[in-house]
Amino acid sequence: MSKERIQGMHLTPIGGAVVLLEPGDGLDPTDADAYLEPLASYLQVQEARRLIYDLATVPVIDGVYYDWLKSVHAICAICGVEMVVAGMTPSAAYALAHTLNETPPFACALNVDRAR
Amino acid sequence: MAKQPAKPKGADQILIEQLMLNVGRISAVIEERGKNIFVQGNILSKDEINDYSVEFLELFVMLLQGGAKVDRRSAEFKALRQFFTTMSQQIQVRGGSMEEFVRYIQFMQHVIIEGLGEEGELSGQQLKETLLLLAGVFNDIILDVYRVYLEQKESTIQAQQEELREISTPITEIWDGVLTLPIIGTLDSSRTMIVMEKLLERIEQDRARVVVMDVTGVLAIDSQVSHHLVQMIRAVGLMGASAILTGIRPEIARALTSLNIELGDVLTRSTLAEGLKEAFKYLNVQVVAGH
Repeated sequence: MSKERIQGMHLTPIGGAVVLLEPGDGLDPTDADAYLEPLASYLQVQEARRLIYDLATVPVIDGVYYDWLKSVHAICAICGVEMVVAGMTPSAAYALAHTLNETPPFACALNVDRAR
Repeated sequence: MAKQPAKPKGADQILIEQLMLNVGRISAVIEERGKNIFVQGNILSKDEINDYSVEFLELFVMLLQGGAKVDRRSAEFKALRQFFTTMSQQIQVRGGSMEEFVRYIQFMQHVIIEGLGEEGELSGQQLKETLLLLAGVFNDIILDVYRVYLEQKESTIQAQQEELREISTPITEIWDGVLTLPIIGTLDSSRTMIVMEKLLERIEQDRARVVVMDVTGVLAIDSQVSHHLVQMIRAVGLMGASAILTGIRPEIARALTSLNIELGDVLTRSTLAEGLKEAFKYLNVQVVAGH
């Protein structure tokens, strides 16, 4: 498995044209432009069909982070990749549901296994 | 050498002497009263009353042996307070009345005071000091007893509130991966918070795939309630589970349309049974009648 490190995130192909994205501490969700192009490029090189965005280590998802997730979803859609958000903690889901005024465009799964 | 006049007895000595001289009578009076109050009400047995009376007098004498100035931090004083705390807890647990118990403590004090009058040898100053000592000790004891009573009440209320919270969120795993949540009554903000928190935790804990939320028991719905419902369904979706809303009665459906509330892409079914069928379908589960 070839691991790719775009600054602030780990990208790992986990088989079956699925790529796992694990955000790191250095990820700046306010600067989506810095990540989207390298991400799209990586997904295309890997011929990915699905991107699993693992949120297990993200304790809070505020409006800014949600917008970032939507941006990732949008770029994935353009590349023909389905994005699934996995591992949202109950507290993060609780807080996000209170701020959302729409149904998220991306699919959600309880954990990475379920998202595969 | 002229003989020094005898130092007047302190309040502690007066009380010790009085208790030593009249221990049998005081103990008998206290026991008798205790039996009238607690044995008749089946709160304490005769033996328990006897033991308590003896223990009280022992502890009280031990406290007085420490001097006229009662040290509230002393081990003896702590022991006496602990004695009443334990007795108070026992009486409460057995359904006794706190008022009666406090009256019983006051009665103990009165018995000791009455004994003082019988001696008739005390000066006004000695009497004052003795009464002040008794009042100080017994007031502290009564305050302790009430503190314990309030703590016990508070923990009972907390336990009841917790029980109510559990009852108001009866989330059940009705099938492997299927949770049901019947909502009964009103869904206000604070209740939504509790229900939602519990539900999301259960989804994670039980690795649920489908949540069937039944609102048959919701009598009225307004924009706020429907907003809360949508929030809950959205949170369920964010956890990777699917929500099915069941039991929307015709008048509720009518109210929702009148309020221009759209439930969006929320999956709805008329009854809980229909909702369960949908959940099974989602999980590719077939329920077949047995022979």
